Amino acid sequence: MNTTYLPSDYLPIFIQLVLALGFIVGSMIVSHNIGPKRHSEKKDDPFECGIPVKGDARTPISIKYFLIAILFVLFDVEVIFLYPWAVNFKGLGMEGFIEMILFMGLLLAGFYYILRKGVLKWE
Amino acid sequence: MLPIILLSVFGIVLLFLGFLKTRAVLLPAALLFILIALGAGFLEWNKSYLYFGDMLLINNLAILFSTIVLISAFMVVALSGDFLEDEMAQPAEYYAILLFSIVGAMMMIGYENLIMLFVGVEILSVSMYILTGSDKRNLRSNEAALKYFLMGSFATGFMLFGMALLYGAVGSFTLTDIKSYILLSHGRPSLLLYMGELLVLIGMLFKVSAAPFHFWTPDVYEGAPTLFTAFMSTVVKTAGFAALLQLLSVSFSAIYGFWWVILAAITALTLLAGNLTAVYQNSFKRMMAYSSISHAGYLLIGLAALGQQSRSALVFYSLAYSLATISAFGILLLVAKQHTTDGRPDESYSAFNGLSRNNPLLAFVLAVSMLSLAGIPLTAGFWGKFMLFSAAVDRGMVWILILAVLMSAVGIYYYFRVVIAMYFREGQAGRIRVAPFYQFILIAATALTIILGIVPGLFQNIM
Amino acid sequence: MLSLLIFIPLIGSLGVVLLPASMKSRYKWITLICCSLELLLCGAAYSAFDPTQSGYQLLERADWITLPLGSLGVVSIDYLVGVDGISLPLVLLSGVVMLVGAVSSWKIDARQKAYHALYLLLTSTVIGCFVALDFFLFFLFFEFMLLPMYFLIGLWGGPRREYASIKFFLYTLAGSVLILLVMIGLYLSVMDPVETALRVGLIQDRSEATDEVIRQVQFLLSEYKIPSNLLVHTFDLRHMAKGGNYLPDSFLSVAGEVMLMGIPSRLLAFLCVFLGFAVKLPVVPLHTWLPDAHVEAPTPVSVVLAGVLLKIGGYGFLRIGWGLFPDGAAEYALLLAGLGVLSIVYGGFNALAQVDLKKMIAYSSVSHMGFVLLGIASLTSEGINGAVYQMASHGVLSAMLFLITGVIYDRTHDRRIDHYRGLAGAMPGYTALTAIAFFASLGLPGFSGFIGELFTLMGSFQSIWLPGWMTAVATLGIILAAAYFLWTLQRMFFGTLWFRPEAAGQLTDLDGRERLMLVPLAVLALLLGIFPNLLFDLTNSTVADWIQRFSIE
Repeated sequence: MNTTYLPSDYLPIFIQLVLALGFIVGSMIVSHNIGPKRHSEKKDDPFECGIPVKGDARTPISIKYFLIAILFVLFDVEVIFLYPWAVNFKGLGMEGFIEMILFMGLLLAGFYYILRKGVLKWE
Repeated sequence: MLPIILLSVFGIVLLFLGFLKTRAVLLPAALLFILIALGAGFLEWNKSYLYFGDMLLINNLAILFSTIVLISAFMVVALSGDFLEDEMAQPAEYYAILLFSIVGAMMMIGYENLIMLFVGVEILSVSMYILTGSDKRNLRSNEAALKYFLMGSFATGFMLFGMALLYGAVGSFTLTDIKSYILLSHGRPSLLLYMGELLVLIGMLFKVSAAPFHFWTPDVYEGAPTLFTAFMSTVVKTAGFAALLQLLSVSFSAIYGFWWVILAAITALTLLAGNLTAVYQNSFKRMMAYSSISHAGYLLIGLAALGQQSRSALVFYSLAYSLATISAFGILLLVAKQHTTDGRPDESYSAFNGLSRNNPLLAFVLAVSMLSLAGIPLTAGFWGKFMLFSAAVDRGMVWILILAVLMSAVGIYYYFRVVIAMYFREGQAGRIRVAPFYQFILIAATALTIILGIVPGLFQNIM
Repeated sequence: MLSLLIFIPLIGSLGVVLLPASMKSRYKWITLICCSLELLLCGAAYSAFDPTQSGYQLLERADWITLPLGSLGVVSIDYLVGVDGISLPLVLLSGVVMLVGAVSSWKIDARQKAYHALYLLLTSTVIGCFVALDFFLFFLFFEFMLLPMYFLIGLWGGPRREYASIKFFLYTLAGSVLILLVMIGLYLSVMDPVETALRVGLIQDRSEATDEVIRQVQFLLSEYKIPSNLLVHTFDLRHMAKGGNYLPDSFLSVAGEVMLMGIPSRLLAFLCVFLGFAVKLPVVPLHTWLPDAHVEAPTPVSVVLAGVLLKIGGYGFLRIGWGLFPDGAAEYALLLAGLGVLSIVYGGFNALAQVDLKKMIAYSSVSHMGFVLLGIASLTSEGINGAVYQMASHGVLSAMLFLITGVIYDRTHDRRIDHYRGLAGAMPGYTALTAIAFFASLGLPGFSGFIGELFTLMGSFQSIWLPGWMTAVATLGIILAAAYFLWTLQRMFFGTLWFRPEAAGQLTDLDGRERLMLVPLAVLALLLGIFPNLLFDLTNSTVADWIQRFSIE
């Protein structure tokens, strides 16, 4: 593999960077300049339309949803480690097997801890 | 290496011990675990081993720093009797997180590979975010945790980016590889290396709260429960400086000429910011936060003047600082409980008024720790400063020294405010009941501070 | 013997701490006994001292701290005490003043335990400061003296005691950190020839160290032949005072080629040391802590502060500043003498303007200590002898003056000069002793103050470093002293008796305890004034030997 790069090799990236930034900045400037502007008292008011606000937009959601979600992500991610191990099962041999047992044991200990803490109890 | 594994396992064990009916077993268990780890660490004394595929280096320096961390943790845990009484607190989890965070700290102390440093920093930081916010009903604690988390993540991002750049330059994460790369580059290492080093430095300096990356410190230290503030200001700082020392002395000593100016400037800024702002505080706890910034400044002198003496000076200073800081916070815990305004403990200077009258022992312990922090002779703090200053004189860094010396005079002023309050002011403080073990820890820390002040050679000979 | 001087009060202090509170009445006895023992020991030291020798005598030495510093070699700190002709008079003075202070402490009622423990601790550190020959040990005592002093002013002081005590502490500490800097620079630059010879292997035992060996080691050092990890760095003031022991190319090497901020580092170091001790002396403009501390401090503390603590500034000049950096002393002689003259005149004028008796005396101290600086800066034998003499004399007289202030303050809690008139009628004994103290202080021949001022002025007049007009300006100080003392005497003591109605019935004459303190001091002042050789015999040979290092240029 070619491991030495000249600065010129980065040119495409640079061009893309310029284009991307240029598009954003350019479209902001252009739209600001060519768009029609009509000022009025109502239009300049921050709340120009809609009905009066009722209650708080950020209603509390039960913490349990978050817990379930985060636990799912946690265990889901950890399970991923099983795949590379499974692929290299033979190559890693007994040592790999013991390490995996340890890993799964820790995972299970965590799971047990969660159960005992009553995180998964919905009531 | 063994302590790291032990502490991880012990942490999990503690989590499960939490399911027991009696909470009383937790505190002795946690103390025992820390002691075992402490003993296990010394099994590797005078041997230098690389572990985990050259990722972790355990040598005497690492063991000494780990010992300081473990001693600090031991003291903090020993002073934590209150948790067991508080209904809402979850002591098992706190202790487990404390043990886990020590694991992180030990990784930061002994890393040989930048990945290990990153993992260690993350373990330590995430634990700290949680502990900072552990006082769930206190809005300030929540704010502190969020602030710490946001700023800390930023800093970690910087550090990670820096490591990536270093990898880009060197092609390896190993410290010795970075060193040999610099040596082989004939004095013209790639620009990426400089950038990378700077960014990693920024990340680490944030963790040890050096100016101008210190803005989180006062709020976080004030918001966090006092006990965890004590832990944060000692363990995180010790581990952070050990990590910086490792990085700078192993990898970057060949380009000393590049970074010492930057570090010296940061040192000066930290000393100024910490000491001058501390003068204006009315809360003892907030003053201690700024004082921890200023001590980061003194410790930075040892790094900026990197040389033969720096290692022992940094170890000694960390120890002296940790002992004094934890006993100061220990007293604060007791005193603040006595006066509550609106249900909050009173952490201002006035809470200490007249403490010496009915609690001469507590006043004496606090006075000694203030003297040690201020660097008065016959305390450990003096020798710490003395060694750091010697290192700087040896490098001829006179400007920094004069600044440091002036700032330590400023330090006297704010450290003595609490002494004035305790001894010269009248207060209605009654006799404070102190558990015997709590008392023992305070006395031991004070005695150690004084002994190290009279015969510093005792410690120096171990090294 | 000198160690006993340090440790007796320390043990006494511990004893006071350990004694149960039920034995409250014994505390002052312990203090008194310890201080009396001190004075006896001082007397013994005086008789054991051979004034014809110029070196250090009564040496006692013990290894204390040895720190390995890796490639920088080893640093050794010793417990090393001894006296020479300069420190012995000050040790004697401390013995006298501390005893007087102990008697004066009789009246302290509040928190006796803490007071007497701190007072004895202070005694120990003060004596330690004068006898320490290891720079580190000296610094330790110097710094540690602040703590008892801080608490003594802060706990038993007047209404503004918090302000005064922290101001005192911060001023002195700011000075002492500068000294710390120089101390670090010095120990990195100086080696101990005997210990180094041991480590290099030239000799096997300390007793084999002859002058020949030392010269050999110094020669090897100058030729860079000693590897740096074998060097033994030292804090020993005797080694620090000898140029041969300085490492070549080191931070403060005698060749003085290292420059910092455009000034040779040795001169900078000298200035740092000077500033550090100038706070203590005090030298205008660093004197502002002194009036505050004196006004707030209780009488015995004022006595000790003026009688002994200020002398440590002067002693530090001689031992550290001038002793280790003669080049700096010669370079800045004019500046330093100028500051001395400024102190004399400024202190004098300020004293003239005070209405508070204690503040007036505090400023007179500033003025009188200016003579000390002038004498030392002159770099002549007369000047330095005179400076030591002036320190001793001022120690006795200022102790007397502050006791006198304490007498009136104890009775009426009012020290304003204009609140009294014609006290001679009500308190004849008091008036007599006050008159003696005032006349002795303003430099009346026959009293000690005269000799000290005369010799410092003679020194500064003869000095090749100083212009003659400086001496002329300095004599203004004597005139001012006469003015403020006599004017005070006239305002307070002469004329018809008048005092504020609150003071009625309280103006009783001196009691036995007060006489016991004041009369011996008055006798001492007279004795020193009539037989100045009592002191000059002690100092002369040391100073003569000492002055030689300045005569090279």
